[in-house]
Amino acid sequence: MTQSQGHGQGQMRETYPVPGEVYRYGTEEQEGRFTFVLEDDGPAGLAAAITLSIQSSQTGDGLCRTESGRTRPFAWAWVGAELHLWLDGDLFVFQRPETRRRGNNNATEASGDILAPMPGAVLEVLVAEGDRVEQNQTVALMESMKMELVITAPRSGVVRRVSVQPGQQVDRGMRLLELGPEIDAEGDGGG
Amino acid sequence: MFSKVLVANRGEIAVRINQTLRALGIAPVAVHSDADAGAPHVTTAEQAVALPGNTAEETYLSIGTMVQAARDCGADAVHPGYGFLSENPQFARACREAQLTFIGPTAESMADLGDKLRSKEIARRAGVPVVPSSPVCLPGDAAAEEFAEQWGFPLLVKAAAGGGGRGMRLVNGRRELDADMEAAGREAQAAFGDGRVFLERYVANPRHVEVQVLADGAGHTIHLGERECSIQRRHQKIIEETPSPALTPDLRQRMGDAAIAVAREAGYVNAGTVEFLLAPRSGEFYFLEMNARLQVEHPVTEAVLGLDMVQWQVRIASGEPLTLQQEDIQPRGHAIECRIYAEDPYRDFVPSTGTLLRWRPPSGPGLRLDSGVVQGQEVSIYYDPMLAKLIAWAPDRELSRRRMDVALSQFLVLGVVTNIPLLRSVLGHPQFQRGQYDTGFLEWNPAVTRPAMTDESRMMARALGAWAAGQPVGSLAPVVGSDGPPNVSPWRSAGERRLP
Repeated sequence: MTQSQGHGQGQMRETYPVPGEVYRYGTEEQEGRFTFVLEDDGPAGLAAAITLSIQSSQTGDGLCRTESGRTRPFAWAWVGAELHLWLDGDLFVFQRPETRRRGNNNATEASGDILAPMPGAVLEVLVAEGDRVEQNQTVALMESMKMELVITAPRSGVVRRVSVQPGQQVDRGMRLLELGPEIDAEGDGGG
Repeated sequence: MFSKVLVANRGEIAVRINQTLRALGIAPVAVHSDADAGAPHVTTAEQAVALPGNTAEETYLSIGTMVQAARDCGADAVHPGYGFLSENPQFARACREAQLTFIGPTAESMADLGDKLRSKEIARRAGVPVVPSSPVCLPGDAAAEEFAEQWGFPLLVKAAAGGGGRGMRLVNGRRELDADMEAAGREAQAAFGDGRVFLERYVANPRHVEVQVLADGAGHTIHLGERECSIQRRHQKIIEETPSPALTPDLRQRMGDAAIAVAREAGYVNAGTVEFLLAPRSGEFYFLEMNARLQVEHPVTEAVLGLDMVQWQVRIASGEPLTLQQEDIQPRGHAIECRIYAEDPYRDFVPSTGTLLRWRPPSGPGLRLDSGVVQGQEVSIYYDPMLAKLIAWAPDRELSRRRMDVALSQFLVLGVVTNIPLLRSVLGHPQFQRGQYDTGFLEWNPAVTRPAMTDESRMMARALGAWAAGQPVGSLAPVVGSDGPPNVSPWRSAGERRLP
């Protein structure tokens, strides 16, 4: 059993399965019993105080017991900057807010990069540099795990650069295309 | 009996075949791609042959390399498993020419059944009803136009060489017909090396019920009862069970007889599965296709019959008679199978790749796990995202459903996203509990594809997330990007249709 440390206050963002707002937490520990005060400013904000008794091992396994005496197993692991938490059959993913670029959900859209959503092969690129594309227009086809994946433009704009070729293997997060700004200023890029 | 058998496959099915071969005193030989060098299907074999490369085309789909591997290791026979080369008549022929016994049907009946249109003709000759379909056609062909004219939309475009939902699309209207036919053709070309497609009438809200058959070389053919496979996403099964909650004893008898008639008409030898569409309420059923191989979901049949289907495949292929009679087939209890996929059920089932940082399957009474992975393994882009199958048997359906739900809640996976929460949502749905569901279940119940945890769970998770973030556990390999860009549209496939 580990001695817990590094608590107090902080911020986290829940990204899976429900992409949530940044939430603030404050923790107080007393003999293995943790009282968490959680606050979330989002429109459907959740706010609560929870007291949990937590036991854990070095391997990232734990048991938590609520005030009502219900005991639930959990486990966690870091996957890059993501904290994956398994709680009694459900998976949750959290990030420290500072690891998100500008804390903006639309960071990838705003930057104009269309990224590979997962590793795979590029089947076809359906647009060329200089082409104007509409929001949701199919710009490329990928294949991953034997399924065809349709890549669409997150907003309207002009294709500034095509970064891949058909047949090319790409990793998750690799740039496929770069979109330039909208010519028509009235278009709303929000998806 | 054989002394050495090459298992021309990977993943859970190769592991499962290895187990039976060893129990029979036969040495299993594994084949593996570079990425699979240390995979469980290799470590559970007695010998392994490396197939250079990583893509399926270079490795598990390469007939020449596979036959050479079998020859080099001195195998007497080849078990193809399912998928990959299992329904490729050229592979069966190449094995025969290399003096290797192919554990499955003959190349000829495989070719007949693998062609969706020829197989329908066989069913017609056997006196079994079939769903209307067009001949093989290209976008813009008169045959395609006429068929669409006659039957209207929606209709299905299917790959003549298809299976497992690949190369299949639901076409909602004339405007999409050509594009969908082209896309299905491309997908079929990539998956099967055969891009031919045809159109089929779309039967709305059918159940998918299939019948397992076994036949020996002397023409003795029996059926092993049915499997209900209606819970599907993107036209691929995710939960199967036997017996089917939809069948009456009379219907079970008629479907069993029809399956045997099709197998006989096809001159079928070894284990095969006759798939039917069962229309709601009317109890009418239509032949869909016959799968000339072992099915993914065969363990539920094994669970209620207490037999080993792979053992029978091997015995029949080695020339032994099938000593089981139809009256020996008396199912006991109920079995449900859940397919554990590395995919995100809340983001259009997009496959998830990564390292299995934690992998701790459940165990308990009536449970069976057929798994192709171990903790620490990489889940790569190269192959199907199915990680394992969990099977729960119990004396009755409700207990097997509950056993499955408890087991899934204990199934710890970290490192990739899985469909386990979705499977639990389906199992807990009142319609599933009552056994009243069809192949449109996920479309009719979109709530099951949304996160279902309680606010209490979520708050507890947030508290534990905050706590765990302060714990000294080393971080593993970084992933590229954040939680994925939002520019992913739904998979372009029939399964994505949103019904009103």
